[in-house]
Amino acid sequence: MSTLELREIHKSYGSFATLKGINLDLESGEFLVLLGASGCGKSTLLSLISGLSDPTSGEMTLNGKTLNGVHPKDRDIAMVFQSYALYPNLSVARNIGFGLEMRGVDRSSREAAVLEAAKVLQVDHLLDRKPADLSGGQRQRVAIGRALVRKPQLFLFDEPLSNLDAKLRMEMRSELKRLHQMLGVTVVYVTHDQIEAMTLASRIAVMREGCIEQLGTPAEIYNRPASRFVAEFMGSPPINILDTHQLPDGLEIAQGASFLSGLSASQPVVLGVRPEALKPTPFEGALQWQGVVDLIELTGPEQIVSVMLNDTRVTATLPADLALTIGQEITLFVDPNRLLFFDAQDGQRIDLCARQTAVA
Amino acid sequence: MEHQSRWFSLFIHLMALLVALVILAPLAWLFVMSISSNADLSAKPLQWWPNEVDLSRYKALLSQTDNSAGQAFVASLFNSIKVAGMATIAAILVAVPAGWALSRTPQLGWVLGGIIATYMLPPVALSIPLYFILAKFGLLNNVFGLGLVYLSILAPFVTWLLKSGFDPIPRDLERAAAIDGARLDQMLRIVILPLAMPVIGTATIFAYLLAWDEFFYALLFTSNQEAKTLTVAIADLAGGRVSDYGLIATAGVIAALPPVLIGILMQRSLISGLTNGGVKG
Repeated sequence: MSTLELREIHKSYGSFATLKGINLDLESGEFLVLLGASGCGKSTLLSLISGLSDPTSGEMTLNGKTLNGVHPKDRDIAMVFQSYALYPNLSVARNIGFGLEMRGVDRSSREAAVLEAAKVLQVDHLLDRKPADLSGGQRQRVAIGRALVRKPQLFLFDEPLSNLDAKLRMEMRSELKRLHQMLGVTVVYVTHDQIEAMTLASRIAVMREGCIEQLGTPAEIYNRPASRFVAEFMGSPPINILDTHQLPDGLEIAQGASFLSGLSASQPVVLGVRPEALKPTPFEGALQWQGVVDLIELTGPEQIVSVMLNDTRVTATLPADLALTIGQEITLFVDPNRLLFFDAQDGQRIDLCARQTAVA
Repeated sequence: MEHQSRWFSLFIHLMALLVALVILAPLAWLFVMSISSNADLSAKPLQWWPNEVDLSRYKALLSQTDNSAGQAFVASLFNSIKVAGMATIAAILVAVPAGWALSRTPQLGWVLGGIIATYMLPPVALSIPLYFILAKFGLLNNVFGLGLVYLSILAPFVTWLLKSGFDPIPRDLERAAAIDGARLDQMLRIVILPLAMPVIGTATIFAYLLAWDEFFYALLFTSNQEAKTLTVAIADLAGGRVSDYGLIATAGVIAALPPVLIGILMQRSLISGLTNGGVKG
């Protein structure tokens, strides 16, 4: 069943268009992440869904009922803010129960619901405190609790983890995921952090300049990016982009560092390959790229190695126990299936059949 | 400044003492004058402390005999309390929504400019139109009329003060409250106003003092005990053929009491309002 439907959503501030026609269908129980750099319109889209602002044009429905012109309080939607937005003058219990209080739920069932939500989030020992007495992680839990306690149709999260330090962010991330698995609620989650998007989402919408560049599962987004923009946005270290040159009998890569025979593109293309697709050991059907080690960055479990192929630098993530020295010759082995091709002009991905290539 | 030398800290304390002395000396002298006899006040060389404490002027000013100076003074004291109180309460009632609206709609910044501009106008420029307006409505020599005039002075000032008080309160709190289902009045009452309380307290004190100390309009628009305020009554004490400086000082001491009382009552909110602009969510 489809819960949230967005049809041709436009939003302009004066002559400046922030959203340029968003279409989106959200399944019940789905965890959709809106991912994009700042200014791409992802937060604007969230505030339209929440009802804090109105779209310039377009239609929104939640479970078949229109949301256009409906006040936020009547939408059955809860939101968790980046700043937590806890009411500083109210106790934790009253913060969590605020939505129920405003909806006139009687005291005893309110208290029971608050306690239940607090237990789920492990803040039941903090109910009498004020938000100022809580740590960042605890505040975040209370903010989630405030959203949870109302059992709304839809949860909105606006970069909820970006105010936390790195360790806490990872903990809360897993916890959010666990919570989602446990409660099966429908979530729209905004972030600029691609790791958060990859780990949490059931589907990711990568946004760019007011449009959805690609909508798909994390695996699709990562392995089959729709465009060079998506490919470069996802993954750390970022994907390698190499120039290609069309020759009569095939595609030359990085000024002759490699050659894909029998391939022809009708337009100029660039090649993308993920750093972890470059392997140090040979395997069946692999392309061989010869280069010189330029830079080694050890991250712990692996090392990020910069290799010069002629004049082109590529980054490879290699096992940490591989002994390498700067200036050393190295052969990298690449599965041709993991090569991605993008139109050099508009950046769209192009499928070139790279299967029957011979190694040059 | 963790490790101050002893001399430096002594110096700091001496300077603080000096500042306190400069501020408090006139007040102390006011009080001494009010309890000195006329002989002590006119003695040469000056007597810094009276030979005997003379409280007769307090008695005179607070006496309720018909047609006495005391009756007029007490009447003016109550007029002042009424006028300043009404004007302050009305100003806060107007300025809370106005300041909040201004803080939340930056496009209305020019209104704030206009508000400050009216506040900058010298009172004398408005005195004649105001006089005619009050005369037209029959509000001359009337506490409500004077209160209305004071409201026109206080409202812009308080609006401006409250606007800067609302500014640091995060808008996310209002968004969260709206999504949580709060109506506008609930949002203001439960979430926003408690956070703005220190600033509202500060604004109340300043507004009250402003109204309490006002002299010019009170002089123009009041003529007798019906509406005359303290500042005018004190000036009247100096207007006779012989000025009793002790009596004026006594009136000054009594006139200072209500604001001091309010200041002490609201001290906590005043201090936190002046120092703590930020709200930690």
